[in-house]
Amino acid sequence: MNDLIEPAEPDIEPARRGFFRNLSLVWLVPIAALIVSLGLAWQSYSQRGVAITITFPNATGVTPGETVIKYRDVVVGTVEKLTFTSDLSAVVVHARVDKDIAPYLDEDAQFWIVSPKVTARGVSGLSTVLSGVYIEGAWDETPGEQKYSFVGADGPPLVQPGRPGKRISLITNDGRLVSEGAPVYFHGIEVGRLEKPRLILSSDTIIVDAFIEAPHDRRLTTATRFWDTSGVSFKIGTGGVSLDFDSLASIIAGGIEFDNLFEGGEPVGPGHVFNIYPDESEARRSLIARTPGATVTVAAQFDESISGLEPGADVTYNGLKVGEVKALSAKAEDTAEGPQVRLFANLTIEPDRLGLKAGATEDEVLQFLEEAVERGLRARLATASIFSSALIVELVELPDAPPAKLDRTAEPLPILPTVPSDLPDFTATAEGVLERINKLPIEDVLNQAISLMASIEQVVRAEGTQKTPDAVLALIEDTRSLVNDEATRALPSDLRAAVTDLRQIVAEMKEAGTFETLTQAIQRADAAVANIETASEQIPALVEDLRALAAKANSLQAEELIASATRVLDSADKLIGTDAARELPPALTGALEEIRAAVAELRKGGAVENLNATMASTRDAAESVAAAVERLPELSARLERLVAQSEALIAAYGDRSEFNDETLATLREVRNAARSVSQLARAIERNPNSLLMGR
Amino acid sequence: MSVHDMANAGRTHEILTARRAGLVGCTTCGKVHPLDTRVCRRCGAALQSRDETSLQRVWAWLIAGLVAYIPANVYPMLITQTFGKRQESTIVGGVIELVHHGSWGVALIVFVASVVVPIGKFIAIAWLAISVRSRSAADGHTRQHVYEIVEFIGRWSMIDVFVVAILAALVQLDFVASVNPGTAAVSFALSVAFTMLSAQNFDPRLIWDAYEADDT
Repeated sequence: MNDLIEPAEPDIEPARRGFFRNLSLVWLVPIAALIVSLGLAWQSYSQRGVAITITFPNATGVTPGETVIKYRDVVVGTVEKLTFTSDLSAVVVHARVDKDIAPYLDEDAQFWIVSPKVTARGVSGLSTVLSGVYIEGAWDETPGEQKYSFVGADGPPLVQPGRPGKRISLITNDGRLVSEGAPVYFHGIEVGRLEKPRLILSSDTIIVDAFIEAPHDRRLTTATRFWDTSGVSFKIGTGGVSLDFDSLASIIAGGIEFDNLFEGGEPVGPGHVFNIYPDESEARRSLIARTPGATVTVAAQFDESISGLEPGADVTYNGLKVGEVKALSAKAEDTAEGPQVRLFANLTIEPDRLGLKAGATEDEVLQFLEEAVERGLRARLATASIFSSALIVELVELPDAPPAKLDRTAEPLPILPTVPSDLPDFTATAEGVLERINKLPIEDVLNQAISLMASIEQVVRAEGTQKTPDAVLALIEDTRSLVNDEATRALPSDLRAAVTDLRQIVAEMKEAGTFETLTQAIQRADAAVANIETASEQIPALVEDLRALAAKANSLQAEELIASATRVLDSADKLIGTDAARELPPALTGALEEIRAAVAELRKGGAVENLNATMASTRDAAESVAAAVERLPELSARLERLVAQSEALIAAYGDRSEFNDETLATLREVRNAARSVSQLARAIERNPNSLLMGR
Repeated sequence: MSVHDMANAGRTHEILTARRAGLVGCTTCGKVHPLDTRVCRRCGAALQSRDETSLQRVWAWLIAGLVAYIPANVYPMLITQTFGKRQESTIVGGVIELVHHGSWGVALIVFVASVVVPIGKFIAIAWLAISVRSRSAADGHTRQHVYEIVEFIGRWSMIDVFVVAILAALVQLDFVASVNPGTAAVSFALSVAFTMLSAQNFDPRLIWDAYEADDT
């Protein structure tokens, strides 16, 4: 009963220590380390670029792990390794580019290896000398369909992708004119670049692409012509000597210039093909070919030598180029005198150059030519210029030419009638003219002119002439002393008293005969004037001579003309040398002397009133001199006309070529002499007193 | 049991641990106290007969060291730039390059200091930690020697980090030449530090406990 119910012994177990409770905080360290490491790994992975491959013909200087890929000079990737293509024909560069760049690597992405380069336009890629080469990439700013393998370019693309502008093609036959990267100029400003020229397999043509940057690409129209500006051009022609050279770079690397040579060209799209002409003038001449294919070809048969005529020679109509000689051919023909070789020139004629509308059909052109031939249109050989023996074909309208017709039925081409040219005579004529010129006594004429001038000078310098001013001075001096005379000064004050005295004096003078002396002096002055007039009277004779000379000059006889001119000059010389002319100044002096005497007498007489009368007489005398001199201009005008006529005569011999210029210059000398005479005359006319007063 | 007895015969009695003697030694000043004393009477350090969390900490540091050792080998240790040419070299890559250059001696030093020693340390510490737990048959003296070697040699594997640090400090000639430490330098330094901590956290008294366990 004592059963005590004891509680069951509890199972005592030590409190189970939790696994985590036991865990040391140190475990945070490896966890942190793991997190950091994983973070690093993830970062590396996420930053790891996109793998791309670029194929190059060779990978000069490219080192795996070192060579970088740059875009706008910023590193965007690294080369990882180099392999070959399966056929060993190229190097494949495996590279990684930044993830954010990768989407832009689409169809237009380009890669090239940058290495130091020295060109005519400067040194590029110098930084790679030390750092080693790198691969430069270029692509546009819009993401496209991503690409992972690319073909590397040889060098920087002419145009950065995405750059606005227009790409066109240029055609030339001479690859020396163009080189890769050569600039394209518009009025001397660089607006584009040439790409690599390539030879077309099927022909000799060289084609080179060019890129014209916006906004200059808008200048490209159908009126645009390109020509080569490289190098130095040296030309001698009728226009003189011209030496052109462009910038040094374009001399070395070549350069192309373009311009719109006429208004109203149609804008062209990308890929338009242009020709490159050797120079600007060639380009301008080429305008004729602006509607190629619309030309009409006719043949012209020449019976004379066509030496000097070459394919490409101009066909001109009244000096305007309307076409060119396309080909020369010979054809044997049976004639009455047996077989004969005839020479043909095929002429390509541009209808719109003839004023026909551009789209004229061949029939219309031939119709036009046919009518023109009826009016007298003929083909004729002519020299291209006086300096060369090259020939051109000119179409001339000769209404009095023997009737002919455009033979439209002729094979293979319609035949345009021709007229013999006057070419063969030309040289002889020119020689004859030269000979005649040589025979001209030009030196004699000059000597005569010089002696004439000397004579004139002599007259002017003659003592008498020189003295004249002295005399006048003396006269003035006397006058002044008279005016300064106390008596004269006293005049105004004593005027009232003097008036009465004057009347008295006049009365006395009449009685004493003083007036008669004065009249005598005036009469002598008149005589002097008469002397001058007699001298002048000989001038009309000289004029007569000149007129005769002019008449002879009209008869186109150069030698006689010159002889006449010589004679005229002789006459003129003689005239100047005549005693009368020489006496003229002394006569004048005499007259002045007389006047002076008169004044002196007046002074003695103290008659102021009469002074006025004396002065009036003197003026009359001067006017007489002027009247006589007035005829001098006529003389000089005659001389001038003579020269003009001689000039016209010489000009009739041909163009104003060099030998003509020489002759003209000589004649101009003569004319200058004449002008000097004329000037002298005019000076006297304008101011007759200058003859008296000196200049 | 019998095999163990045979192996440890004649030694069991030679070793008398403090715990068995009812004592606890201060790890700081070395003074011996009765087993249940909590604080050292002389230096005030906490007294523990056995550090129970020691192995945990060893493993934790060891794993951290191992984790750090991976980027230390994957990432470049040294980034050299000479005339704009950039060169990155990992530890092993550097060794291979040195061999290519014929510098066998230097290559050997670098290889030993940077590869053999750390890896050896990992293995040694792991072995110690495992052998202590599993009461392996290894000789206590051998374990003690391994532990001492690990303790001693641990600092020397920093040689690589020192080289990088000195080079990076000295060679800064801008464009001509410059040396910069890579990610691996930091990782490697951390790895070495972690393994040193790991070794330090190992309570060498545990080595001898294996004998006690054997005996009881």
